[in-house]
Amino acid sequence: MSAVLEVSHLRKSFGGITAVDDVSFEVRDGEILGIIGPNSSGKSTLFNCVLGQLRPSGGEVRVGGRTTTGMRPCDLNRLGVSRTFQLLQVFPQLSVRDNLILAGQEHQGSMVARLIGRADAGLGEAVDRMIAFFNLAHLAAEPAGALSYGQQKLLDAAMAFMAGPRLVLLDEPAGGVNLTMLSQLRERLAAYHAERNATFVVIEHQMEFVMALCTRVLVLAEGRIIAEGAPHEIRRNPVVIDAYLGH
Amino acid sequence: MASLIQLLVSGLATGAIYALIAVGFTLLWQTSQTINFAQGEFVMLPAFFILAAMNWGAPFWLAAPIGVAVSILVLGVLFKLVIVDPMLKYGVLPLVISTIALSLFLKESAKDFYSSQAQPFPALVPATDIHVFGAVVSTQSLAVLMVAIVTVGALHLLLNKTRLGRSMQATAQNPVLARILGIPVERMVLYTFLINAVLVAIASILVSPIYLAKFSNGETLGLAAFTAAIIGGFNQVRGAIAGGVILGVLDNLSAAYLSSQYRGAIPLIILIAVILWRPQGLFGRVEERTV
Amino acid sequence: MTRFGILATTAAAIIAVVLPFFLKPFGIYLISMWAVLTIAAIGLNLTLGYAGQVSMAQGAFVGIGAYTVALLTQAGCPFALAFAAAGVLCFAIGWMLGYPALRVAHHYLAFVTLAFTTLVFLVLRNEEWLTGGTYGINGILRPAFFGLSTAKPQPFYYFCLGTLAVLALATWWMLRSPWGRAFKGLRENPIRAQSLGIDTRRYTLMAFAIGAGLGGLSGALYAPLVQFIEPGSFALGLSFNLLLMVIVGGSGYFFGPFVGALVAVLLPEWMRIAEGYYLIVYAVAVMVMMAFCPSGILGLVERIRNAASRSDRAAPALRAEGAGP
Repeated sequence: MSAVLEVSHLRKSFGGITAVDDVSFEVRDGEILGIIGPNSSGKSTLFNCVLGQLRPSGGEVRVGGRTTTGMRPCDLNRLGVSRTFQLLQVFPQLSVRDNLILAGQEHQGSMVARLIGRADAGLGEAVDRMIAFFNLAHLAAEPAGALSYGQQKLLDAAMAFMAGPRLVLLDEPAGGVNLTMLSQLRERLAAYHAERNATFVVIEHQMEFVMALCTRVLVLAEGRIIAEGAPHEIRRNPVVIDAYLGH
Repeated sequence: MASLIQLLVSGLATGAIYALIAVGFTLLWQTSQTINFAQGEFVMLPAFFILAAMNWGAPFWLAAPIGVAVSILVLGVLFKLVIVDPMLKYGVLPLVISTIALSLFLKESAKDFYSSQAQPFPALVPATDIHVFGAVVSTQSLAVLMVAIVTVGALHLLLNKTRLGRSMQATAQNPVLARILGIPVERMVLYTFLINAVLVAIASILVSPIYLAKFSNGETLGLAAFTAAIIGGFNQVRGAIAGGVILGVLDNLSAAYLSSQYRGAIPLIILIAVILWRPQGLFGRVEERTV
Repeated sequence: MTRFGILATTAAAIIAVVLPFFLKPFGIYLISMWAVLTIAAIGLNLTLGYAGQVSMAQGAFVGIGAYTVALLTQAGCPFALAFAAAGVLCFAIGWMLGYPALRVAHHYLAFVTLAFTTLVFLVLRNEEWLTGGTYGINGILRPAFFGLSTAKPQPFYYFCLGTLAVLALATWWMLRSPWGRAFKGLRENPIRAQSLGIDTRRYTLMAFAIGAGLGGLSGALYAPLVQFIEPGSFALGLSFNLLLMVIVGGSGYFFGPFVGALVAVLLPEWMRIAEGYYLIVYAVAVMVMMAFCPSGILGLVERIRNAASRSDRAAPALRAEGAGP
C-alpha cells in the first residue's frame, strides 16, 4: 500500500510561537484520515503548510513519493491535490456551472489550447454529472453567491472533486452547516469516496461527523500528535479526553 | 578625489531629502495600508503655500511655519478625512487610484492656480562654499543634511522613546491588539498623517531652493520616494532612510559620471534590479504566502 | 447579453457607422481618436479591471507602438507588418516588465510601470538619431489597402472603427473562453483560484502583456491619425488619461473602455469654456467616483437597473452582466 501523503517532522513557527511541532504521519491510499484537536492545536496551520499556503519552518511533505514542501498551491493542485476551505469557498458572481468548469479547466489541455478551444473547456458533461451527484441541478445557473451556506459547502466539495484529485484535504467541511444538510454532505463525501476510492484528510471539530466518516483519526494538541487510531479507540483515549477538557 | 567628496556630500544631501519623503510614505503604508501615490506632489505643494504667504507680505521666517501649518491641515487632516477614510472600506486598489487622481489634481492645480513657471525659492542659508579636505562643499548641502538628520533624529525619538510613539508603533504592527490595549487607534493613524505632512513640508523647504518650486516636481520626487521605500523593504522605516540615502548618492554620482540626460532612469534601473534580485529590499523579510 | 445590452450595443454600433456623415472633419477626427484610444483602454481594462493591477505605462506602450509604425512605414515597411510589429513588441516588453514585478505583492507593478514610462519618455527624447528627439516625426502617411487610400478623414475613421471592432471581438472571444473565466476567478477569489490549479501569477502576467500589446496596436493607429508624433504626447499624462478612462467608464466591464474613452475625448471639448481646467475636473470626478461609485459609469447603470428590477430577481445580479452570458 503506497502512501499518498507523507509528512515528516513538519515544523512551523511564527516568531516565538511554534504552531506545528515535529509532526509526522502518513496517509495511505483510499483512507479517510480525520485530524481533530482542541482549538489552536495547529490543525489549520498544518493544513496550510501541506497545501503550500504557508512555508514550513522545517520538515518535509511528500505527495505520491514526490517532495512538495513549499510548492505553490496551483502547482500542488496539478499534482492531484485538492482542498476545501473553511471560509472563502466559492466564486460568488459566477454561476454554479461556471464555478465547476473553472474548478476543472486548468487540467484540460494547455493554456493556449484553452484559449482557442471550447468555452467550457470540454467539461460540459462532467460538470452536469457532478451537479447531479451533489443534487444541485436546480441551482446550476444561479450565481454561487445566492446559494445557502450549506449549498455553498456542497459546491465547495464539488469543486474540489472536479479535477479528479487523488488526495483531497477538507478544512472543517461541517462548520456552520445545519443538520439535514450535514448528513447529505457526509453521505455525498462517503459516496464519492466509495466510487472513486479517493483519499481524504479531514479537519473537523464535530465529533459525530468525524467518527461517522473517517477510517483513522489523528489527534493534535499544542502542535503535536498525541494520539492516533480508529475512531472508536480515540473516543475512549484518556489522553485525548484530557487534552480537550484541559482547554 | 575632491570632486568625489563634493558629489558624495551633495548626494547625501539629496538622499537625506529623499529619505524624509520615503519615511513619510512608509509610515502611511505601515499604519493604514495607504499607498500614497501623490507623495511627490505632497512635497511640491508646501513650497507654493509658503510662496503664497510671502506674496501676501509675510517674510520667509514667518511664511515657512505658516506653510507647514497649512500643509498639516491640508495634506494631513483633510487628506485623511476626505480621501483616505471614505475609501478604506473599498480596499487598497480604489485608494491607490484615488491618490493617483489626487496627484494629477494637485499638479494641475499648482500649475493653473499659481504658475506654470518655475519659481525661485529662498534658501535656508546663503549659498556659499567652504573648503573641507581640499574639496569644495556647499553650505547648502550641509544645511540640508543637518536639518534632515535633526528631523529624522526627532522622529526616531518620538517613535521609540515616547509613549505616544510606542503606541503608534503598536498600532502599525497590530491594530486589533492595540485597540484591545486601549490605544486610540484612529487617533494614532491620524498622527501618522500629520507626521507625514510635517515631513513632506520640511522636505519641500529643503528641496525647493535647489530645484525651484515647479508644479512638475512631484513626478521625480514621488518616483524617488517609491524607489527608496522599495529599496529599503517597503515596510521598514530604517529601510526608507537607507533607501533614500543610497538613491540620492547613486543619483548624483551617475549624473556626474554617466549621461545626465538619463538621470531620471536611475530609479527605474535600481527598482528593476531590486525587484529581480532582492524583492524584499534591504531590510524587509521574505514574504510569507497568504493564508 | 441581456436584451437591454443587445439593444444598446446595436444602437451604438449604428450611430458609430453613420455618424461621420453628420460631422465636419474635426468631428470625424475626434471620433477616430475615440476609436483609437478605446483600443488602448480595452488593453488597460484587462490589466486593471480583470487582473486587478494598476499600470501607469499604457501611455508609454501607445508611444512605443506609434514610433514603431512611424519609423517602419517611413523606412518602407508595409503598414500591416508594422502594425503587427507594434503589437508583438509591446506584448514582449510587457511580459518582460511584468515578470519580475508580479512576483512580489504590494502593487509593485504600479511603481515599475511609473518608472518605465519615465524611461520611455527619456529614450524618445534623447535618442534623436532614432526618434528625432523633441522634434518628433513628421509627415506620417496613412495606409492604403488594395488600392483604397485612407488619407481622408472618413475612410481613415472607418479603418479605425473596423480595427476596433476586430480587436474588441477578439477580446470578447478571449473573455468568453476559459481564460476569461480564469480572470474572473482570480479577480473574485484569488486564493480559491490558486487552490484549483489556476496559476494566478501567469494569468495576471498574461493580462498585463496582452494589455500592453493592445496599447501598442492603439499607438500603431495613433501615429497615422495625428500624422505628427513627439515624445511629450506619450509621457505620464497619457497614462493617467487612459487610467482615468477605464475607471470612469467602469473597470472590469467589457464596454467600460468605450464609455470612458468617449468621456475623455469629449470632455476637453465640453470644457472649452473652462479651458485648461478640464484635467482638474476630471481628477476630482474620479476621486468623487471612487468614494461613491468605484465601478464607474457602467457600474452606476447596473446599480440603477438592479434597483429597478429588485422585485424580479431573488439573486444579486452578476457584475459582468453587460459583458456576455
